[in-house]
Amino acid sequence: MRRVNRIVWGILLAFGAFVVYESLQLSYYGTDFGPGPGFFSFWLGVLVIALSLAELTWTLRQPADPLPKGFLPDRQGTARILSIIGALAASLLLMAPLGFSLTMLGFCVFLLRSVGRFSWWAVLPIAGLSSFGLAYVFRMLYVLLPTGMLGI
Amino acid sequence: MESFQHLMNGFVVAMSLQNLLFATIGCILGTLIGVLPGLGPAAGTALLIPITFKLEPTSAIIMLAAIYYGAMYGGTITSVLINVPGEAASVVTCLDGYEMAKQGRAGAALGIAAIGSFIGGSVATLGLVLVALPLARFALKFGPPEYFSLLCVGLSLVMALAGKSLSKALIMGVIGLVFSLVGIDPVEGAPRFTFGITPLMDGVRFVPVVMGFFGIGEILLNAEKSLVGVMAGGGKVSSFLPRREEWRISVTSILRGTGLGFFLGLIPGTNSAVASFMSYAIEKKVSKHPEKFGTGVIEGVAAPETANNAYANAALIPLFTLGLPGSPTIAILMGALIMNGLTPGPLLFKQHATFVWAVIASLYIGNVILLILNLPLVGWWAKLLRIPYQALSVIILVFCIIGAYSLNNSIFDIGVMLVCGVLGYAFKKLDFPVAPAILTLILGPLMERSLRESISLSQGDYSIFVTRPISLVFLAITALILASSAWQALPAAIREESKEAQV
Repeated sequence: MRRVNRIVWGILLAFGAFVVYESLQLSYYGTDFGPGPGFFSFWLGVLVIALSLAELTWTLRQPADPLPKGFLPDRQGTARILSIIGALAASLLLMAPLGFSLTMLGFCVFLLRSVGRFSWWAVLPIAGLSSFGLAYVFRMLYVLLPTGMLGI
Repeated sequence: MESFQHLMNGFVVAMSLQNLLFATIGCILGTLIGVLPGLGPAAGTALLIPITFKLEPTSAIIMLAAIYYGAMYGGTITSVLINVPGEAASVVTCLDGYEMAKQGRAGAALGIAAIGSFIGGSVATLGLVLVALPLARFALKFGPPEYFSLLCVGLSLVMALAGKSLSKALIMGVIGLVFSLVGIDPVEGAPRFTFGITPLMDGVRFVPVVMGFFGIGEILLNAEKSLVGVMAGGGKVSSFLPRREEWRISVTSILRGTGLGFFLGLIPGTNSAVASFMSYAIEKKVSKHPEKFGTGVIEGVAAPETANNAYANAALIPLFTLGLPGSPTIAILMGALIMNGLTPGPLLFKQHATFVWAVIASLYIGNVILLILNLPLVGWWAKLLRIPYQALSVIILVFCIIGAYSLNNSIFDIGVMLVCGVLGYAFKKLDFPVAPAILTLILGPLMERSLRESISLSQGDYSIFVTRPISLVFLAITALILASSAWQALPAAIREESKEAQV
């Protein structure tokens, strides 16, 4: 766990340095004695650096310890997590060309089958209602959802 | 007395059959919206504005107000039952509400939330009638330095919300602040942290972030397991009434929540999430057993739920009297008022007295309807638990997508939600609390603006924050909170170090 903590606080240290660097590209003080756009973010970056350095120093003094049980998911858990992230990423890419209904139909069918292990008898009505059904309800409520190339 | 005379006239209008019907429909729709993760009060109220187009203005606003406070309560239901907050104000309810549900006490959690919401909402509405104008005038005295100092109090309470590690809570708070700075600088118009990505010019919106951190993050965490058995309490709700000893604790928590929610509702720029977070932090601070918070204590549900409903009702005061929307949902209500030809502000009481007092009276009626609807229906709502989580999680994901997209019709926001979902999952695994990041994401722009305006006002003199009495008092409170939190954290760290040195 010590190694994980070091990596995490190292990343946060780099994040703080990045915030400071980006803030320095902006004006620190404006024209009317007021602070500029870089003022607040600069000090936030400094605070991130200070906290990360303090924690890094602390973890360097800690003895090595193993990862807590269950910290890393098993192979099946990892597959489920990646399936959900993959399905979300795919829907993000397909939403504009295919529209909400078709994208969500594919999204629901994929997740209900791969992650939920439902039978097709359960998948089809749930996926249909969660995609075309919801799209219909929200359009009735004048909520604009992407329609895609096919106009559905 | 004049106010009460007006209020009585308001009741006559609000209790017409038509307005009672619209208040009831609004409460049901609002609760449903609150129950659906991804559709908070802001998105829900906005979604339902079109259905009020054909109503006359008083009925339309009565219905929208009912949707608003109905959604505030509805958000609690998913927080308690499936650990997914329906909206930002219910985030903190997850901490103890979900734990109570896991212990088979979902009914008691939802029951005390309904009772607290009713008391908070009713007392706040009474306050609206009694002290609306004087208190609004007091809040008007707040200049940028006072406002900045008040926000410092709010942020210092982030430390009180810290889980096991003070630095982790602090760094999450700072990360939220950095996220809040993304977009066009409000004073000089310079783009910050946008990296040439056009949608980032509008900033990082908190709805996709909340949906990502809490909705997607939680689903990913549950996906590690077999997605079976993550439903709290197995769907059984034995009783919606708390135990006898819990009533005594809850009463004081509800009173504190009411006072805090009402006060924060008066201050333009705050929001119900701040009310519930601060209320939870205060309960933890005053509790004799703060270590039990997060394990399913009833005051951890009663106080924030009361505060956010008291806030919801009190937040209408700045809108009606000053024309200032205090939160996104109130801003949407303001839009609805304008669409109906009513301009919020001091003249509203003069020019449209019948309308404004009818809406105020409807708040009382709405709170009663909400209590009548929700207490007996607690068990019905709990039936959500019987839906297989594998199916529900997919539906929650679809609603999260709709929620993230529909607020601004932006596919980019779905991407923000996905990124925040992965981050939320990682933060949960690493024991970094995400609640401080959400709080600071909301408060960040307000804080930066008031800081910069203050320094600009004083022409670069930082003493402006301590030379103004109200600001000084707020800063002194901040210092006290910080000192007390640091004091509590320090011995623990030293103890841990000495223990490990011995090993």
